[in-house]
Amino acid sequence: MAFIKTHSAQSISEDERKQPRNCENLEAELDNPNPTTRRWAARDLVDCPKASVALVSHLEQEEDVSVREVILTSLTTLGDEVAVAGLVNCLSSEGVALRNEAIEAMKQLPDEVAPIMRKLLADANPDVRIFAVNILESLRHPDVEAWLIEVIENDPHLNVCATAVDLLGEVGSFAAKEPLLRLKARYFEEPYIQFAADLALKIINED
Amino acid sequence: MKRILIVDDAATVRMYHRNILETAGYAVEEAVNGIEALEKSLQQSFDLFVVDINMPKLDGYGFLRELRSQDVAQAPAIMVSTEAESNDHIRAYAAGANVYMVKPVKPDQLLINVKLLIGEACL
Amino acid sequence: MPASSISELDFEKFREFFYRKTGIQFEPSKRYFVDKRLEERIELTGSETFRSYFTMLRFEASGEELQHLTNLMTVNETYFFREEYQFQCLVNSLLPDIVQRKKDGNPIRIWAIPSSSGEEPYSIAIYLLEYWAGINNWDIEIISSDIDTQILGQARKGRYSARSVQHLPENVLRKYFTRVADEYQICEDLREAVEFTRVNLAEPADTRPYRNFDVIFCRNLLIYFDDVSRKAAAETFYDALKPGGFICLGHSESMSRISSLYKVRKFPEAIVYQKPLEAR
Repeated sequence: MAFIKTHSAQSISEDERKQPRNCENLEAELDNPNPTTRRWAARDLVDCPKASVALVSHLEQEEDVSVREVILTSLTTLGDEVAVAGLVNCLSSEGVALRNEAIEAMKQLPDEVAPIMRKLLADANPDVRIFAVNILESLRHPDVEAWLIEVIENDPHLNVCATAVDLLGEVGSFAAKEPLLRLKARYFEEPYIQFAADLALKIINED
Repeated sequence: MKRILIVDDAATVRMYHRNILETAGYAVEEAVNGIEALEKSLQQSFDLFVVDINMPKLDGYGFLRELRSQDVAQAPAIMVSTEAESNDHIRAYAAGANVYMVKPVKPDQLLINVKLLIGEACL
Repeated sequence: MPASSISELDFEKFREFFYRKTGIQFEPSKRYFVDKRLEERIELTGSETFRSYFTMLRFEASGEELQHLTNLMTVNETYFFREEYQFQCLVNSLLPDIVQRKKDGNPIRIWAIPSSSGEEPYSIAIYLLEYWAGINNWDIEIISSDIDTQILGQARKGRYSARSVQHLPENVLRKYFTRVADEYQICEDLREAVEFTRVNLAEPADTRPYRNFDVIFCRNLLIYFDDVSRKAAAETFYDALKPGGFICLGHSESMSRISSLYKVRKFPEAIVYQKPLEAR
């Protein structure tokens, strides 16, 4: 027994897929019982410009996390309106994993998510608003601080404000100072808000 | 000194919990999501976990389920979440949590639960 | 700017951010090293303070500055037996685990990417020959890939500097290398033992034929990728591995920042990531 070589890249492993790779077939393969086939279909669909519709509609019914992850990666790469709308829908999902996966994906799409950020931050469901603030964390967008200030000034839900303060410590400038002081006054009996706001203020004052 | 692992993706929340626990005399380690928490808890031993539910990559439920299935010494866990009205607490207990608390936690309430779970209450 | 301009809190915030973006974690003892490099970039980018630099780093849409900083923070140096504990893990833990589960007589397949100039795949081959008794019972296939054809040529040639072989035990060096002037030529049998191929990890058409691997070594590569490419790479490896196959990342890398698809497995020598046995 010893080291062996396969000698040509082709024989490294035979390409086992049987269907020709056109967009229509790939979309159909999203329903294939074999997860490997579904993963490859989701991966290859990234080259099909209208694939977001099929990927989004398959996302919520897909139970294999490995396939879901590839779908989300492809949706992130496609990054069109349909993809973003599909990800937004996932924020209201009951599945914690799917929700968090969608948040992760949306963090990668600053320009596409920015136009709907205001709407998300005004969502009736406080959980969705918390997720929206979570998404802001990785959004490289000039309005992030202004959005966060708006949240801590106006959002009636304690945990939405708490999440926003956490982030203001990272991105906050002098403009956040007064709003943070007002938040502290509003929640004067809430130790976490006092702690987080003081921390953010300390960092801002160091500048 | 008893060792506690804080698992939360929010840096400020970790600092807040750390502050409370260190002031009370505990040694604290941090992890930013369930996978990192799992890595740390497989390499070091802890007396207690304080675990957030919503985290990227691997959430709090996933972490506890995975940890409880591993062949390592098991420590109790406090699960914390921002969601008070859903049935998170039921899922938390099912995943292997010992106590469920709603965020943001009050320092004295956190400490009471920590002491109860670590077995230091009324000492 | 003065050396003390990065405060403790700033450093913590930066450490947190950099870890989130790159998966690279600095020990507190690295503070000086990190400060020095940060100060270098602050000066070169004409930033006035750490905070203004940090804001730029966070919000720059191209991510270009983050890439500069990552390159600066990671010393990309390859040599034989680098991060040797992982090879020990391979022969003492991973291969025994694989062999115990193995139901067929097919070769055990190992993929090392990037191959770079070949030190890593050759180290694996040497390690198996020297420290794994199973080499007498099993066929082994080592495939090593890189995107850079020039470096692949160098790897196939197998000629190394004294610095590159300095961590090899004397007897191993004598056994597998011949001295040529001030360099070391790896022996013909080892050159034959590794298959070198060109692969762009970000190109599905390239990676598609790579399947049924038992172990993948991908060390200190993903740190150079952005978040989406890194996640896509982890998903590509998932399809390249057999169920129960292992993936070894670099010393400072953790799958916890990349993907949730793998199980965390603890072995005496290292933490290794495993495609679930029940995965399909």
